[in-house]
Amino acid sequence: MITTTLRWVFVVLAVYILLKCILSLLSTRATPEVWGYLYVEDGVGIPVTHWENVVGRSKSVDIRLQSPTVSKNHCILVRRNDGRWMIKDLNSKNGTTVNGTQLIPSKRYIINPGDEIRMGGVKSTLAAISVEESNNNDELRKLDKEPMSPWKTMVAITIFQILAILQLIIGMGTKITPMAVFSMLLLSVIMWVYVIASRSFGARGFEMELIAFFMSTISMAVTASSSPDTTIKQLAAIVIGIALFLFMCIYLRDLNRTKQLRPILIWLSVGLLLFNLVFGQIKYGAANWVSIGGLSLQPSELVKIAFICIGSATMEELFDKKNLMVFVVFSFFCLGCLALMGDFGTALIFFVTFLVVSFLRSGDFSRLILTFVGAFLLGLMVLRFKPYVAARFKAWGHVWDYADGAGFQQTRTMSFGAGGGLLGLGAGNGSLKNVGAANTDLVFGMVMEEWGYIIAVLLVLCIITLSLFAVNSIMAGRSTFYTIGACGAATMFIFQTMLNVFGAVDLFPLTGVTFPFVSAGGTSMITSWALLSYFKAADMRKDASIAIRKKV
Amino acid sequence: MQKLENRARICLLLAAVLFLGIVLFTWRLVTHGAEWATFYGNTQIYTNGMINRGTVYDRNGVMLMQCTTDGVVYPESSTLRMATVHAVGDPKGNMSTGAINMWKGGLIGYDLLNGTYDTTKDGKKITLNIDSSANVAAYNALGSHNGVVGVFNYKTGEIMCMVNKPSFDPLGSLPADPNSSIYFNSFLQGKMTPGSTFKLVTSAAAIDYDPEISSFSFTCDGVNYYRGEKIACTHAHGTSDFERALAVSCNGAFGAISREVGAENLKKETEDCGLTSSINIDGIKTTPGTFEFPTDNDVELSWAGIGQAKDQVNPASMMVFVGSIANGGKAVQPSMIKSSNIIKKLSGGKSLGNYLSEDTASQLKSMMKNDVKVTYGESNFPGLDIYAKSGTAEVGTADNNGWFVGFIDDPDHPYAFVVWVEGGGTGYEVGGPIIRTVLNTLIQNN
Repeated sequence: MITTTLRWVFVVLAVYILLKCILSLLSTRATPEVWGYLYVEDGVGIPVTHWENVVGRSKSVDIRLQSPTVSKNHCILVRRNDGRWMIKDLNSKNGTTVNGTQLIPSKRYIINPGDEIRMGGVKSTLAAISVEESNNNDELRKLDKEPMSPWKTMVAITIFQILAILQLIIGMGTKITPMAVFSMLLLSVIMWVYVIASRSFGARGFEMELIAFFMSTISMAVTASSSPDTTIKQLAAIVIGIALFLFMCIYLRDLNRTKQLRPILIWLSVGLLLFNLVFGQIKYGAANWVSIGGLSLQPSELVKIAFICIGSATMEELFDKKNLMVFVVFSFFCLGCLALMGDFGTALIFFVTFLVVSFLRSGDFSRLILTFVGAFLLGLMVLRFKPYVAARFKAWGHVWDYADGAGFQQTRTMSFGAGGGLLGLGAGNGSLKNVGAANTDLVFGMVMEEWGYIIAVLLVLCIITLSLFAVNSIMAGRSTFYTIGACGAATMFIFQTMLNVFGAVDLFPLTGVTFPFVSAGGTSMITSWALLSYFKAADMRKDASIAIRKKV
Repeated sequence: MQKLENRARICLLLAAVLFLGIVLFTWRLVTHGAEWATFYGNTQIYTNGMINRGTVYDRNGVMLMQCTTDGVVYPESSTLRMATVHAVGDPKGNMSTGAINMWKGGLIGYDLLNGTYDTTKDGKKITLNIDSSANVAAYNALGSHNGVVGVFNYKTGEIMCMVNKPSFDPLGSLPADPNSSIYFNSFLQGKMTPGSTFKLVTSAAAIDYDPEISSFSFTCDGVNYYRGEKIACTHAHGTSDFERALAVSCNGAFGAISREVGAENLKKETEDCGLTSSINIDGIKTTPGTFEFPTDNDVELSWAGIGQAKDQVNPASMMVFVGSIANGGKAVQPSMIKSSNIIKKLSGGKSLGNYLSEDTASQLKSMMKNDVKVTYGESNFPGLDIYAKSGTAEVGTADNNGWFVGFIDDPDHPYAFVVWVEGGGTGYEVGGPIIRTVLNTLIQNN
């Protein structure tokens, strides 16, 4: 009866690990970095706290000048990588002059500290920040809440992992393979190597990675229980995911470099999706799988990573309608391909992410609603023509009436899930794993059954925390590119989790998408880790993130 | 950046939807978790469609049914199985009122914290209030007759005996259709013509609403024409007052009493006595009885007050009603599952309210004693301080259905009973010996 005790230990450890990470992330209030001051006529210095700043009269600008001669959105001030500043007039009514020269609207000009900038009737000068002030600001930032020290949490995760292995052996006996056990141990080692190595490079915030490592641990345990032979594959996916995550973190440090990557990503995505359309294989009713040399992958998952990058935009680009059009056209191409593949769930995720990102970019609510209505009508058409999807909608809300038909998976999820109680039956002891897609689409139920309701809900709270963190990061963000990226990735995580969890427990129709970081499946795991880099790129706590270049 | 901060609230909105969805799911889990977990698709607790853990015992610790991964185990004795199957249920749970179906959550041991996790390895125990030896005694005493025997403790509500015949052997081959008649529990789900046992209700109404009842008198000529219609008795009862009319069960007299009391009052008394309500027995809802007391047809009303016409009563409700007479008018909710609650044992079962006033109950009680003295014979019930009313329901077949309802006044054994024998003829003649055997078995054992 070791399991009886272990169930409690797991829940206590999980609550400790996740609440510690969650609370640390949520209590973050990064003091914005100060990059310079804009001195206006009366001698007041307005701190410039972002790389990209809108100057104007409106309430929603970054530097507000309350003079009737200043337009609502007058001009933008942008800091370049080399530390020099640029100014761009946004077709303001009264125009902008620098040292008496009238600026041509929508054209960039380099300005130097001390230049006289006249916006309408307001005269101002931009002053670079002095070394002394810079140090003072750094001191101030040091007073912020430090990122959580990772060590105790890591010890807790390691204990959790070792006990999970023990529980799997108790639960499954000889059915668990040595390779599965070894893979889980290796995950622990990888976590320690990752944290120690990144710390030696100066990164100090690890909450997000530890959350991801914990969720990956559950994923490994779920895989080991349902399909022990593929546990090693799941580990390989985690390793590839972490590698991609690190690469992206470092790549994202340089905004210009990242911006230049976008056209390549667009063509790469188009290629991947077309490849999928031609060579796709049908699995669970959607042709979204491609098999290459024995390895199967879901190209549409990988496109998610590119989708966020392509959707993100710098402040300058936000005032450029053409730039949005590229994203709109690309989005509709993706949606079209997904519709052809019959991957209804992923199409929804792309669509909602598209809506949120384009709203973040344009702020245009009426367009958002129009798009929504359009899509709703389109959705109705899809339902009309796709009996398979229609059947799932038919059972929605009353799956118990179709318990052995269209509601089979959902009723089993709820039944076995409820059977797990708050503490679970113990890893390896579940029965839901014998139902199709248990470790992917129904993984929430599988976690509930084997690990209990508390851990299952904590996993959802982790996803919610990431999105709260992304929104919170805007305050101190350097560029809108990073904050849109983080919010876009958060939308993907949130909506995907919603479809997965709500679909499995009959709050939504079952659409068959994965739970980020938790569902078994290589491509999904790789994508989850890669998307995490967008959150890291928005983490502005002092010296916290591996994705942020330190101030020089 | 400021602009984005406002717009990013849409992300918070999405997160809020996810959060609220989880709250909604949690609410459903709390309220429906037991239902979900005990769903037949849950292979943790079902093997081949049968619950695989948990044991049902009778009040004296006799195993009545044990669910195992190798199937459902029943007692060795086939009589014991057939006498208790209506309480425990069939292996597949087709009998809706059986314990295996009604209280499967208790057998499995589901709770919110542990789910179906089995800390004991063989599931939970359910102890029923019935005494299986009394069930066997009742089953045997019914002999070749079909019928119903129910006994409960009118102070605590414990159902001590519940037998339905025809019965079936749960180990035999059983129909897959849960609506098959063999799964029907007549005691809980049936309703039948009450016959003269209903005169207890009419008497109660007379006591409550007819101030002239003490001077009531009726002379029975055996035929008793009323407005050209016969309200016949088995023979001429002669002149009776109210008490004697009940003791000899004179139809003519009770037709007259019904007319004196009136349709409205009879209807109200029937409702007050709980005969038209469903009783909740640990989640089992008994079938409510149905009655019609016409205001424009005195002949029909007379027959309704006699317990014929369209009167239909549920045996369990009848048992609770006679129990309330014994208990000073207070009706106690019957229960199948033994409670470990000590307070409940001391203070009595859950009250269903006062069916009767204390005075009415006391007067009815003494009239029921008189019935035994005058008609059923005290010597037929040696050692039992019995109070009863017999009934012989005419249902248009050659053999009338016999009823015998009542209680014994014994502080240690406060039992009320109902016996219904299909085609049994005169109620006290067929029901008396049955209940005597059952009561003696119960007194001996408990």
